[in-house]
Amino acid sequence: MKTIDFFVNGTEVSVTCSPSKTLLDVLREDAGLTGSKECCGKGECGSCTVSMNGLPVCSCLVLAGQVHGENVITVEGIGTPENMDPVQQAFMDEGATQCGYCTPGLIVSARSYLNSIGHLPGLDEIKQALGGNLCRCTGYTKILKAVQTAAQSQLTFRDL
Amino acid sequence: MKENHFKYIGRPVPRMDAPEKVTGTLKYMTDYHFEQMVWGKVLRSKYPYARIKSINTSKAESLPGVVCVLTHKDIPGFNGFGIVVPDQPVLARDVVRCTGDAVALVAAETKEIAEHAISLIEVDYERLNPVTDAEFAMSSNAPSLHENGNIHSHVIIKNGNMDTAFEEADVILENTFYSPRQMHAFIETEGGWGIQEPDGMLTIRCPGQYAYRDRLQIARALAMNPARIRVISHPIGGAFGGKDEITVQIYLALLALHSGGRPVKIHLSREESVIAGIKRHPFKVEMKTAAKKDGTLLANQVRAVADTGAYASLGGAVIALAIEHCCGPYKIPNVDLEGFCVYTNNGISGAFRGFGVNQVCAAIETHMDMIAEKLGMDPIELRKKNAYEKGERSSIGHELKTSVGTLKTLETAETCELWKNREMYKKNISEPWKKRGIGIATSFHAVGMGIGLPDYGAATIELLPDGTFKVGVGCEDIGGGNSTVYAQVAAELLNCDIEKITVIQGDTAETLDSGTVTASRSTYTGGKAIAAAVPHMIRVLTEAASAQHRVEPENILIGENEYYAMTKNGEQVSTYEKLYAYLHENRLSTKVEGHFMLPKEKEELPQSGGAPHHLYGYLTHLALVEVDTLTGETEVLRVVSIPDAGQVLNPQGLEGQAEGGAVMGIGYTLYEDVLMDGGYHQTANFTNYIIPTIRETPVIETFPVESTEETGPFGAKGIGEVVMIPIIAAIMNAIYDAAGVRIMHLPATPERIYKALKSRDVRQ
Repeated sequence: MKTIDFFVNGTEVSVTCSPSKTLLDVLREDAGLTGSKECCGKGECGSCTVSMNGLPVCSCLVLAGQVHGENVITVEGIGTPENMDPVQQAFMDEGATQCGYCTPGLIVSARSYLNSIGHLPGLDEIKQALGGNLCRCTGYTKILKAVQTAAQSQLTFRDL
Repeated sequence: MKENHFKYIGRPVPRMDAPEKVTGTLKYMTDYHFEQMVWGKVLRSKYPYARIKSINTSKAESLPGVVCVLTHKDIPGFNGFGIVVPDQPVLARDVVRCTGDAVALVAAETKEIAEHAISLIEVDYERLNPVTDAEFAMSSNAPSLHENGNIHSHVIIKNGNMDTAFEEADVILENTFYSPRQMHAFIETEGGWGIQEPDGMLTIRCPGQYAYRDRLQIARALAMNPARIRVISHPIGGAFGGKDEITVQIYLALLALHSGGRPVKIHLSREESVIAGIKRHPFKVEMKTAAKKDGTLLANQVRAVADTGAYASLGGAVIALAIEHCCGPYKIPNVDLEGFCVYTNNGISGAFRGFGVNQVCAAIETHMDMIAEKLGMDPIELRKKNAYEKGERSSIGHELKTSVGTLKTLETAETCELWKNREMYKKNISEPWKKRGIGIATSFHAVGMGIGLPDYGAATIELLPDGTFKVGVGCEDIGGGNSTVYAQVAAELLNCDIEKITVIQGDTAETLDSGTVTASRSTYTGGKAIAAAVPHMIRVLTEAASAQHRVEPENILIGENEYYAMTKNGEQVSTYEKLYAYLHENRLSTKVEGHFMLPKEKEELPQSGGAPHHLYGYLTHLALVEVDTLTGETEVLRVVSIPDAGQVLNPQGLEGQAEGGAVMGIGYTLYEDVLMDGGYHQTANFTNYIIPTIRETPVIETFPVESTEETGPFGAKGIGEVVMIPIIAAIMNAIYDAAGVRIMHLPATPERIYKALKSRDVRQ
């Protein structure tokens, strides 16, 4: 057992657990943040995606010992039902969520990607950025539209 | 655009559950975690077919941290489950028939201890030779996997006279088609939790597609009064038919009885889900189709064999639906159709979106394409010539009494931009060694359960103190968005804002039994049940307003979000809050019910297993593909989906179904197959089970034709399954159009296409 201190959604948390516990399990079981989901457990599906120091990672592939002192943002840190991020708002408006189980991972991936660019992305760029997130319900068409819409509103907001 | 005078119906109302879903705040059953919780694990069979000589649990029981270890001896009631025939043991006693069979259960303080305990259970097996081929399973040489042999069901439909039909034919095609063992690949694997309450009641929270039937199956295994079991089956992280059967509900219930009132949680790993979960039935379809020179279809002869694996689940119903649909939405006067559902040791197959129709549509729609080519006819023209209309007789000989949209969908296909400019699109290749092609296919899918099965919907509407309405429907929202449609129907008919509606679903304590979320039935059934409940609520509110203001009920007007009383002193307003207060003070009920029986055909076709259905949804797909002739790889570039869903209640929801179905169909046609060898799964996880990613998503356009179905809510009917059916044959036909090869063994992998290209080149 080891005590690990790190930041989740801007708040410092301290967890005592085996250093080989996955970040996903730490978030879900110790921090009570269940937005990040487990679907494959081996980095194939992206349902557990969180942002670590600004980069999207599969939290099922990150061990607790690796996050000591690091900065983790989960879907819960991106927006709330009362105060949604433009990406979340766009997912809702465009109908980009169905069963919703993959949605948190997609939101984190899309947010990380939009944070990393300063232009309106083309479809191929969005496909590249979200290529690691599986969704079985939507057929992705509305997800593409949602990310485009969010990018547009973000650029408009920035230019104001 | 036609004029829409509704406030919510026909409008792209965003999903009611979207804010919770996009922010990750929605709690799925597998998200719950409790301080006092114990973890449950299942020991699965080591072999696909074996006799159990003994099970020794003593080492596992003595492991510190183990709460209980259970075997077949600990089942108080009936040791079996299965939607139609309960032939699958809850915990195997003397024989295992697939590697998904559960042999023992463990509950422990941690996941790790539970896993360790599972490894300490000693099972002495006597290995038997597994039966892994459905045709062999049907032969007399095969060992009997079940008491009554390996043929679980045999359905037959005959119509007309086959002998003379083939004699009159100008074109006859005869081919054999093979289809893959597709995995549902819902993103949330099977899981949930259960608890025995202090008063002895059991609460099982586990995603499912029919809470009331899950409760029945749990009660049967536990020999417990179902009224003492509460099943909560919603929300769900995807299902597609894969959570229609019992998944882990009975395991949770058994463990909950032995964990001293502590909650017990099970959440399958993807690897365990692949082994234990049901799959789509792999089919072998032999089809012989005859037509006249002018394109008139004359005859169709079909023999289909479905591999249901170790247990029946819904296999019998799947093969019955396949045979009912295997001639397409056409009027073929002479047919001879038979289907077998066969036991093997290849895992378990069961319900999956499309329910057998996907496999047979691939065959008939390939034959339609081949006939058109042989006769030099336009493939749409050929289909239009043979499509039945309302009032006509289908190939299986029954008269279509409900709306039929095939012709409209074909006419839309004919005039759509992709089809009109197909020659231009075909020329527009991305590399010199790649070839493009465009394919078309049309199909249909029954809505509702068919003859011989209960099929009803029920809804409740309750006025709450804050002046909002709680609408309860048993049908879960498995992702398709029926919850939003239910709110739209209720708000429209009650004449209130949709924000005043809360929908609750999938809870045996809170909702009435409304049947399954399968058979493309939940929007149709739930919508009609709500529509049946609304007049009762309006009567309750009208009577309350009339008593409150001392006027006759005919002097009450229904306004938007309020009721008006025409009194001597002028118009008086009653808000919902005031009406609730009046009802409450006078001890009057604020809750009403609505019930709806699905219309059915009166006469069952003998030996058909439940055909015909009364109502069908129709759809035509077009697909543009590009085939790499050097590697055999196929890319789907564009899809046009033309559904006849009746009147569209929510265009955004319909598009969501059409797009999701199309991409699932692309996966089925090009990549997906759970490979088995000797009864063992070779496919373990998404590492080697490839489903389409966003990078494989083509441009998808949806053009609903909107025929009105008189029996449906606001003219709607079901669409959840047919959206992934014709796309399969459309892609197969497009591959032929592009590269000149017919792939009849799906998935059409690069290897299969490459080999077909090579053998074609050799022949030439």
